[in-house]
Amino acid sequence: MSDAAGDDRTGDETDVQASDGETDVQASDGETDVRSDVDANDVRARTDPRASAPEDAILRVRNLDAGYGDLQILTDVDLDVGDGEYVTIVGPNGAGKSTVMKSVFGLTTHLGGTITFRSEPIHELPPERIIHQGISYVPQSDNVFAGLSVRENLEMGAYILDEVPESRIETIYDRFPVLRDRQGQKAGTLSGGQRQMVAMGRALMLDPDLLLLDEPSAGLAPDLVQDMFDRIDRINDDGTAVLMVEQNAKQALRRCDRGYVLTQGRNAYTDAGDRLLADEEVRRKFLGG
Amino acid sequence: MGLTKALDRGRETVRGRPLILITWLAGVLLALDILARLAGVEIALAAGRSFGGSMSAAQFGNLVWNGVIVGLIFGLAGIGLSMTYSILNFANFSHGDLLTTGAFTGWGAALLIAGWGLAETGSLVLVRAAGGPSPNEIGASVIQAPIAIVIGVVVAAVATVLVTVAIDRAVYRPMRDRGGIPLLIASIGVALALRYVVQFVFGSRSRGVTATEGVRTTVAGVGVNLHELTLFVVALVLMVGMHLLLQRTKLGTAMRAMADNKDLALVTGIPTERVVTATWVLGGALAGVSGFLYVLERGTIEFNIGWFLLLFIFAAVILGGIGSIYGAIAGGLVIGLVHEVSLVWISGDFNAAAAFLIMILVLLYRPEGLFSGVTTA
Repeated sequence: MSDAAGDDRTGDETDVQASDGETDVQASDGETDVRSDVDANDVRARTDPRASAPEDAILRVRNLDAGYGDLQILTDVDLDVGDGEYVTIVGPNGAGKSTVMKSVFGLTTHLGGTITFRSEPIHELPPERIIHQGISYVPQSDNVFAGLSVRENLEMGAYILDEVPESRIETIYDRFPVLRDRQGQKAGTLSGGQRQMVAMGRALMLDPDLLLLDEPSAGLAPDLVQDMFDRIDRINDDGTAVLMVEQNAKQALRRCDRGYVLTQGRNAYTDAGDRLLADEEVRRKFLGG
Repeated sequence: MGLTKALDRGRETVRGRPLILITWLAGVLLALDILARLAGVEIALAAGRSFGGSMSAAQFGNLVWNGVIVGLIFGLAGIGLSMTYSILNFANFSHGDLLTTGAFTGWGAALLIAGWGLAETGSLVLVRAAGGPSPNEIGASVIQAPIAIVIGVVVAAVATVLVTVAIDRAVYRPMRDRGGIPLLIASIGVALALRYVVQFVFGSRSRGVTATEGVRTTVAGVGVNLHELTLFVVALVLMVGMHLLLQRTKLGTAMRAMADNKDLALVTGIPTERVVTATWVLGGALAGVSGFLYVLERGTIEFNIGWFLLLFIFAAVILGGIGSIYGAIAGGLVIGLVHEVSLVWISGDFNAAAAFLIMILVLLYRPEGLFSGVTTA
């Protein structure tokens, strides 16, 4: 069992290095670009959240005001996720990153604005209805049923279906082979990385069009963080759009298609991930130089 | 090496918590005393007291059997209490009065079937509120009217479920998000209301309901009470059924998932309100059947039987580890056995105290209860 997991990890490491090299090159390319021609258009693109939005966006958040009860956290937030796109939200602590995600999933108090998914308004729907629309959510912590077996966790992910989709469970096991070996084990006894796989596997059971990930790297050992990001890349490569909140901003921006920088519950910057990463101002303010 | 380590650890435990040593010593002494009594050995001690004595194996076996019977009642009723605790997050003080509800509605139905034509319908449905024909004339026993008993069990379950779900809709659901303490206090109010509604409708007289003719019999040379045997079988079947439901079905898995992590259940798409209703349905049905069976075994009915049972049920559930149905069953059996076997040494006026003492001692040793960590609804 542990052997298989070990092999898997070694394979991933090679992947990481390969893709890292690639991104680095692109990133430095971007940097020179930005420095050479700073014009009004670029500034507008960076600060207008709608400018970079793909035209075929499946998720559209417009002028969203949201919070918890009377406490308003988000003001006038715009955000789009295209079909199959990989989008991250970064920003300082308390900027409202997770709140955006929870709002999309119907877990906050909606105070204004609209959220549409495939042109259907969803901002008034409870979570169990939103799941039916094709969105799944992986919370940051406590995201497995500790007393249930790995397999039962996955089965719960497909609760809204009449029958347990065996083929889907197999697909999840193929994606996370260590879960197949541990399928009878209680999820609470697994390591942090394996639990994160159970949580993602559960969210993938309905083959969602959009996967919401709240800080997937939180609490993972450093060597597992790369592994986790690789797995997310592969989920995205298979066509699932990903909206992710990450503390690990540099990593996340390097890997995503587009990024949103949020401050104090408002949009600050939006651009392709590597361009945000290369942006002097964004770097200085939010990425620690 | 291993031995010295074990000794060291033992010494530390004793120094840190001497009560545990005393408890173990007392337990060993009492066990030896039982063995001595069974062997007929008596050693005179001071002040007219003696160690050992005489007790026949049949007497002892009888105490153990009685302990198992009351233990099964505590355990069966405790399953529902434990489930509502872990899934709804509050200690339901009206659970005992759900037993009373089941007992009266179930026996009303059973007497109506068994005594059809012997007395006015109203008098039978109200479980002989104003007297009327004696229980033996009505003949409500598993021998004389097995169908009536079966229907009684079913009616007890169904009626209690209806009452339980109605109470949830009216009282608990509107305050679902207010936390455990307001719900607990509300449930005390519900308990009182329920009890006095039962008293108002069925009266406060304690009266017999079961026929006794032929209930005590011998099967293969062993004397048995068929009503106790019925209780034993029905309780066991229901417990196995609950186990299978929780472990093998989608609803059961969802109930365990919700007991585990309510927020996650919500974002996973589990219809949490439907699971809550299922929890009340199952818990209510088991409470109602427990109440009915309890009366079948003891023979008499009164409006406050459930309230008096509630403390024992709580003791069983807490002892077993609140939140685990297996804990509730095991805790029920321990409390029941202690309750009955302690009669070897103390009079029937005090044996309830022994049951609660053992609960306190177990909790000192294992604060989480016997089945802690087995998070199973």
